[in-house]
Amino acid sequence: MKKKWISILLSASMAALVLAGCGGASKEAAEKAPVASNQSQQKETPAAKPNTSEEPCEIYMFINSPEYADAMTELIEAYKEVAPHVTINYETTQNDYPTLLKAKINSGDIPDIFASTSGKEIDVYREYSYDLTGQPLQGTIQESVADAMKSAEEGGGLYGIAIKGNYFGIVYNKDIFEECGITSFPSTIAEMKQACETISAKGYKPFTTGFNEWWVFKHVWQHYLDAAAENAGMDVSKLVQMFEKGEAKVSDYPELYNNFFEFIDLAVKYGDDKPLETALDAEISAFGTGKAAMVVGQGAWIEADVLSVNPNIKIGFDGYPVTDKAEQCQVISGSDQSLHVYKDSKVLQPTLDFVNWWYTSDYGKEWFTNVAGVVPPIKGAAASNYAIINQGDALSSQKGAAALAVCYSTDSWHEVFGALIQDYIGGAVDKDATCTAIETRWKEIEGVQ
Amino acid sequence: MIQRQKKIVETMVFSIPAIILVSLTIYIPFLMSSYYSLTEWNGISKQAVFIGFRNFTALLQGKKEFLTSLWFTTKYTIGYVILSNLIALLLAVALTKRFRLANFFRGIFFVPYIMSMTIVGFIWKFIFTSGFEKLFEFTGWQLWNYSWLGSSHLVFYSVVFVGVWQSLGFYIVLYIAGLQAIPKDVLEAATVDGASSWQKFSRVTLPLLGPSFTTCIFMALTNGLKVFDIILALTKGGPGTASNSVTLQIYKEAFTNNNYGLGSAESIIYFLFVLILTQVVLSAFRRKEVDL
Repeated sequence: MKKKWISILLSASMAALVLAGCGGASKEAAEKAPVASNQSQQKETPAAKPNTSEEPCEIYMFINSPEYADAMTELIEAYKEVAPHVTINYETTQNDYPTLLKAKINSGDIPDIFASTSGKEIDVYREYSYDLTGQPLQGTIQESVADAMKSAEEGGGLYGIAIKGNYFGIVYNKDIFEECGITSFPSTIAEMKQACETISAKGYKPFTTGFNEWWVFKHVWQHYLDAAAENAGMDVSKLVQMFEKGEAKVSDYPELYNNFFEFIDLAVKYGDDKPLETALDAEISAFGTGKAAMVVGQGAWIEADVLSVNPNIKIGFDGYPVTDKAEQCQVISGSDQSLHVYKDSKVLQPTLDFVNWWYTSDYGKEWFTNVAGVVPPIKGAAASNYAIINQGDALSSQKGAAALAVCYSTDSWHEVFGALIQDYIGGAVDKDATCTAIETRWKEIEGVQ
Repeated sequence: MIQRQKKIVETMVFSIPAIILVSLTIYIPFLMSSYYSLTEWNGISKQAVFIGFRNFTALLQGKKEFLTSLWFTTKYTIGYVILSNLIALLLAVALTKRFRLANFFRGIFFVPYIMSMTIVGFIWKFIFTSGFEKLFEFTGWQLWNYSWLGSSHLVFYSVVFVGVWQSLGFYIVLYIAGLQAIPKDVLEAATVDGASSWQKFSRVTLPLLGPSFTTCIFMALTNGLKVFDIILALTKGGPGTASNSVTLQIYKEAFTNNNYGLGSAESIIYFLFVLILTQVVLSAFRRKEVDL
């Protein structure tokens, strides 16, 4: 009996233990790390280190965004010609990147270049990140991108670089709009409602929403958050801070309480048949095949995929109808992603050489538009032939661009936020309960501990 | 005397490698995670701050997400245990009858069990979205047009269905083994006594299947409580939080919300919950078993 009891105990414990055990940090790594960082502080300037740059070395780069894998490989091959002794070991994944990165950090196998989101997460990884201030690339990085790489706690620094800048807004099909006789993009809520009715009367689906993905919601929400902050006469980072401290209420801001939820309702009503089952791929196919007129929650990154579905589609790009003022319908620009250089890396100098080359060399500058096809995160890059990027450029110089509000919060919160709005769309909770949940969970997750 | 010493050495030599491996992958992580459950740590920073039992008190005072996920897991487990055992028993009875394709069908039912849970999840995700859409176009039946993964009411049934579908073969095999082990003479004696085939099944076969029931229900119980990969692949706990199991909640707390300490505390509490529950159920079934 005793044996049986033990075997039961063991098998039962496995259930919980396997989960509990996955990521235990190696204590050794934790103890060793501070020592290493002290040493590196003593030799603060990497240039003062003996020049060993000709020795063969290996840079381990582990980042997300697999959609740029081909472009990155090309970049790495080009660098091979510049610095033949440097091998760049490039690894990428989309699914579960933060968990894999944490496992690597805790096991002491820290990549020399790793990724996080920009803004608030800069501080989460700051003790592992090298401050790039004073590096040559500081001269070429775009200011809106550099802003997102600052540490909020330190109030400065340049703790990362980006593969791309970005544009966020509504992507629409110009042909469908023309067929429906809509000449200017509906930039107020009333106009948008009107447009939806016209478009659906013509037999098209006005929206495709991708509400299956949690990150779609943060992209929509930030436009309304920007408008709420602007109309309340403050900076959006201040508003986010107030929510984090539990001082702000959703219902105090009509842009959030009325307009945001109204837009979500509108997108559900005139959107996909099964909104919570539709993900990014379904969005792209619905838009690319000309069934849907507008794409919600996306931005510059979908254009290449849409063009591969239908190369002749005429893509339009504009902001969200956030209020009844047309001038507040702005696109958002900035970089939501950040690549960090590991501060205590054994190959710190070669790694710095590589990122500097990437951002300052002629090849590097052209790479952003010609190879990767992204919104360049640097000044003085070549002109792009993507419609979203060009219209984004035009719109932001005409009307100005709104702040990249997503970078003031971590994805920990955004994932919860996405789930809350999904619950609202599914009808599990009503609007007021959702707002209360937003207030309490936001404070719980992001509030100062 | 020498014989005995030799035996002891032998036992040690053979068991130590296993003990080391099991310790490395289970006991040591368990102890470490017990320690982390007493800390506040985001899983990234170099130091974990010791905060005593604060994580546990926070959880026991009612953290809503943990409790709702506990309720979901309980519902899932009940549905999973009942359905998988019931259907497996029926199919096992059918498959022990002598007919031409019996062995072929046994194989067919076992195939899903060989596939990895994640793959099964992705296959069914595809069927639920694209497959059902095509079926609806062909048949026009409303059944195919429901949002099986996107509605917070239906998602529970979808998840249970896929869970049962995947593991059915395993329980069928166990029940078939149990059914074949029932001595033929007892059944013959019942026939001689004039028992109908239903009486033979309910009065002779079922009681003698006791050990199979205990094994299968215990396995189903632990598998149901552990459910993780199928849900992660199918719905990621969504829509919203409608299909959040405890295991997924622990994972999200530790890795997404960056509350490694709180996540560890949740897993310790859940460990105790599973331990007690399985004990109670197992001893209840053991008492009911009959011997020949």
